[in-house]
Amino acid sequence: MAGSNVRRRKPPTANRISAYLLHHLQSLIFSLSKIYQAPATTIMTVAVIGITLSLPGGFYLFLKNIDAISGDFRSSTQISLYLDLKITEKKARGLEQYIRTMDHVASTRFISREQSLEEFRQSSGFGKSIDTLSSNPLPHTIVVEPGDSADTFTARNLLNRLQAMPEVEIAKLDTEWLERLYTIIEIAKRSVVIITILFAFAVLLIIGNTIRLDIQNRYQEIIVTKLIGATDAFIRRPFLYGGVWYGMLGGIISWLIVEIGYMAISGPLERLSLLYKSDMNLITYSFQDFIVLIACSTLLGLAGSWIAVARHLNQIEPT
Amino acid sequence: MIEFHNVTKRYPSGFEALNNVSLHLGDGQMAYITGHSGAGKSTLLKIIALIEKPTRGQALLNRINLNNLPRQRIPYLRRNIGIIFQDHQLLFDRPVFDNVALPLQIQGYRPQEVAKRSRAALDKVGLLHKEKSMPITLSGGEQQRVGIARAVVHKPMLLLADEPTGNLDPILSREIMQIFVDFNQVGVTVLVASHDLGLIEELDKPRLTLNAGQLILNDLDQGDAGGHDGWQ
Ligand SMILES: Nc1ncnc2c1ncn2[C@@H]1O[C@H](COP(=O)(O)OP(=O)(O)OP(=O)(O)O)[C@@H](O)[C@H]1O
Ligand SMILES: [Mg+2]
Repeated sequence: MAGSNVRRRKPPTANRISAYLLHHLQSLIFSLSKIYQAPATTIMTVAVIGITLSLPGGFYLFLKNIDAISGDFRSSTQISLYLDLKITEKKARGLEQYIRTMDHVASTRFISREQSLEEFRQSSGFGKSIDTLSSNPLPHTIVVEPGDSADTFTARNLLNRLQAMPEVEIAKLDTEWLERLYTIIEIAKRSVVIITILFAFAVLLIIGNTIRLDIQNRYQEIIVTKLIGATDAFIRRPFLYGGVWYGMLGGIISWLIVEIGYMAISGPLERLSLLYKSDMNLITYSFQDFIVLIACSTLLGLAGSWIAVARHLNQIEPT
Repeated sequence: MIEFHNVTKRYPSGFEALNNVSLHLGDGQMAYITGHSGAGKSTLLKIIALIEKPTRGQALLNRINLNNLPRQRIPYLRRNIGIIFQDHQLLFDRPVFDNVALPLQIQGYRPQEVAKRSRAALDKVGLLHKEKSMPITLSGGEQQRVGIARAVVHKPMLLLADEPTGNLDPILSREIMQIFVDFNQVGVTVLVASHDLGLIEELDKPRLTLNAGQLILNDLDQGDAGGHDGWQ
């Protein structure tokens, strides 16, 4: 038939497949060479993408560090129970035994009224005035350490149950500030998600616009290749690879920016951690983070160029 | 090869560039399209090259109806055509060789094959020694020859040329036309639009003359419209 007649000069299938792969490779290299040939535009685009991505990236790392530090604090959550002054030491020790068996309790420690007074006498420097007191104003104290698995919520529950005990005058979670910190971290985490989405969108637009300009600049080439029988896929390919390169290079730049930024603040931070006698280690991108970052930015590049290509390439037809 | 049945082309502006044109160019034939400026020569070629669609009537290329060809089949059909433009439409960002190789790369030929055929095509137009030059460094005639090499490199069955000698001096024009005649001699169907009447007289080939969108002279009707059927 006429149709087969017209198409008879197609190369054999095996050749076509390798030729197809070959064209992918050629597009990849061609788009890279385009980037190389127009360094100014490329550097600008890639830098903008890199800077854009470094903000959510840096914020993410900041939170990761805060999380690690606050994780250390979490294990130091304590509940102090100040008992009624009328409770005898024997009864108080019995209560301690009982609390130790409760759920979510890791350990307990008993501090008698006398011990408390002695500690206070030594640490406060009010020794003399304390000696003048006719009776010990301090109660027996039980320090309760919640179990490792206890989060703020269960710690709070435990606190309520302890508070409800008749023998307990005051139950105090020592780490209310920590709870506030957790809430702030939670807010910050959600902010990072929002920022990341916004900035990903920005990158999408940047790459889309760059590819759009690229398409405009190569208007003539597109027309000519269409006229000599290029398929849409063939014409699309170098632009899509262009977007992939932009995304990937932008991701690498953002990684560099964040790494350098963290290097810059690591000095003072080490001094700070010395002051607090803790060994805070600055966490930077893990290998996994790096892979995810590059994969995401590359994907954004592909998506951005895809949008531009879908919107603008089909409109170009020879006349 | 090419059949027009009462083809009318009305542009969106309402202008009727072709009016009820019928013609038949057989396989392996060569013909000229002449006519005044605005007569519809380019429009006729554009319909064959699937750049424009007929408003009325039927246009067939190798018995394939061009009126309602699905978009995704257009590239494959175009691969059977070599188009030469008045302004040669070379890509100035790459050397001559890459320009000529483009149709082969599009069709997925292997690199060795691409190189072999591209050089052969450049040799045919006498520009093999310029394969590494950038098109901008070539003269107008050389650029036009590169355009021809690109149009024939994939051995199309049909060559379309729209004013291929428009900017060239008479000697170069004759050279270019001779190249078309040579291709026709090896079996390629050729259709050339030109208003270089003197040159057309010299080369004794059938003529199609358009006047305000109407075909007023059709030498093909007298000849053997079937042509040599060497393309089966
Ligand atoms: N896209 C278009 N929209 C509207 N009118 C058009 C369009 N293209 C061509 N025309 C008109 O159709 C007529 C035929 O145009 P065409 O280009 O086919 O002429 P031509 O014979 O090739 O002329 P020339 O020798 O000057 O190249 C002209 O009057 C032109 O103004
Ligand atoms: Mg014209």
